[in-house]
Amino acid sequence: MSAPRGAGLDLRPVGESLWEIPASSRPDMRVPARVFADRELLDAILDDRSLEQLQNVATLPGIVEAALAMPDIHQGYGFPVGGVAATEVPDGVVSPGGVGYDINCGVRLLALPVTLAELGGRRETLVHEISRAAPAGAGKEGGIRVRGDDLDRLLRMGPSALVERGIGTGDDVERTESQGCLEGADPSAVSERARLRGEGQLGTIGSGNHFVELQRVEEVLDAETAAAFGLREGQVAVLIHSGSRGLGHQVCTDYVKRMDAAHRRYGIELPDRQLACAPQSSPEGRAYLAAMAAAANFAWANRHALAHAVRESVRRVLGGEAADGTRQVYDVAHNVAKIERYDGLEVCVHRKGATRAFPAGSPDLPRDYRATGQPVFVPGSMGTASFVLAGEPGSIERSFGTCCHGAGRRLSRTGARKRIGGAELRRQLEAEGIVVRCASNRGLAEEAPFAYKDVDRVVAVVERAGLARRVARLRPVGVVKG
Amino acid sequence: VPPAHRFASHTGEVEIEIEAPTERDVFAEAARALAELMDGEDGEPATRDVRVEAADRPALLAEWLGELAFLAETEGLVPERVAALELGEGALRARVEGRTSTPRHLVKAVTYHDLTLEERDGSWFARVVLDV
Repeated sequence: MSAPRGAGLDLRPVGESLWEIPASSRPDMRVPARVFADRELLDAILDDRSLEQLQNVATLPGIVEAALAMPDIHQGYGFPVGGVAATEVPDGVVSPGGVGYDINCGVRLLALPVTLAELGGRRETLVHEISRAAPAGAGKEGGIRVRGDDLDRLLRMGPSALVERGIGTGDDVERTESQGCLEGADPSAVSERARLRGEGQLGTIGSGNHFVELQRVEEVLDAETAAAFGLREGQVAVLIHSGSRGLGHQVCTDYVKRMDAAHRRYGIELPDRQLACAPQSSPEGRAYLAAMAAAANFAWANRHALAHAVRESVRRVLGGEAADGTRQVYDVAHNVAKIERYDGLEVCVHRKGATRAFPAGSPDLPRDYRATGQPVFVPGSMGTASFVLAGEPGSIERSFGTCCHGAGRRLSRTGARKRIGGAELRRQLEAEGIVVRCASNRGLAEEAPFAYKDVDRVVAVVERAGLARRVARLRPVGVVKG
Repeated sequence: VPPAHRFASHTGEVEIEIEAPTERDVFAEAARALAELMDGEDGEPATRDVRVEAADRPALLAEWLGELAFLAETEGLVPERVAALELGEGALRARVEGRTSTPRHLVKAVTYHDLTLEERDGSWFARVVLDV
């Protein structure tokens, strides 16, 4: 018999669905590395280098408590995807790679005032209209062109700057994490190159795993909370997954380079060059936080513009009443660093492929959700379920207010492409009743459902660990992809 | 050994490995690999003079590919040929000849993860992980 997977790792169960690699397992680790998982997910996690990457995160100066991983963790570059690291304010480090290139990649859910039965034969037309209004793929045509002072305003304010121009509503902004605006955003910290890359990309989906999906609420699992979120069985909803596009990619690129050059000055030794970082209080740290906040605000504005495009598509296909009755449930970030307070300690929480999941009573939530906890959206893959969750108190106790962000990749992109062609996958999805609009067959194949872990299992783990509870399960009925 | 590249499997990302007889050839081959990945269409011929700087040679390779990814995203330029490539201490100059079209795939970023550029048994080896 071969040795059990992960045999070299000192991995111990330390709580409900929680495993720990002690800080003593490597001389450079400052805190333990902890992963939320069941045994089967843990086996999949041990297939790649994600836990080694989590141990690397545990070496960062100023990290407190533990380097944490959600059950959808997979190998990234530098930080694993699905990782959480909280560092002390003000002298702990901030790491651009700990947020990632797609700054404030995130998910927004809209609830339409119609059921799938009521939508009936107009479903394909609606998906088609959305694909025209929300450009996807590598091309940059079709986005809203914003530059100069208008772009500065957007970077400082986020979606509120669009509401001023008649795009979206104040309610949408209110039902967005941090009201769509991180404090301290400074457009002057964003390079000209980043601005050039973002130009014309506002209101575009992008490529990779980004999408706009039409969903049906398949099952309500917590009736009271679902009602507060405005969700009922059979209802049509739209899930939007996108981020800060080229602008955010360039901000991260710029600051990884800058911190790579600077970190030795602060006496920082790193096991992986991509973990480049600097103290939050340093000139490099402060500039990155200001640029990252601006890129995050741009991402919220992007999803806000995409939601507007969806509403206008609803207006054309279903009429004004349905468009005006399309309610934003919430919008969550899953690649971001934020200053938060736990047990009186102020920390900079890096979430890379992880979602904030604040419980009921949190003052940071909109009034509508103070009694329920924060809505969290966990997209599965195309063709499988997605979940709506609500934050639970365990997240504050165990994971710096965080839970999972998706199913988590299991196969590489090339691995997925070897197993299925895009055209064949498209036929399969359509045979399951899912309308597909996709710019690239190759891109479609890379996102095949079997390339991802089992989302039901991921969600069951965060529920058992007390980080969030299940509210509703959604099933895709239309996909627009890059 | 003629210059060659291959795409290695890496969950969620793309990893390029390059082997070439000289360090300079590594840089030219890396541009070819990137062009293959971006998959441009026929378009208008275009030429751009590029100059990039970095702290060391591996970072210079990342910076070079980053510049090409930037030109593809902002101008639609996909390289076909790299002319007059000058590799200096911490800087690179080159003339990039290609076509401007709508590349089917863009590169989000060139990472520093596992970034390698070194001489191995008389030839040069490089590894770059891209976020795509």
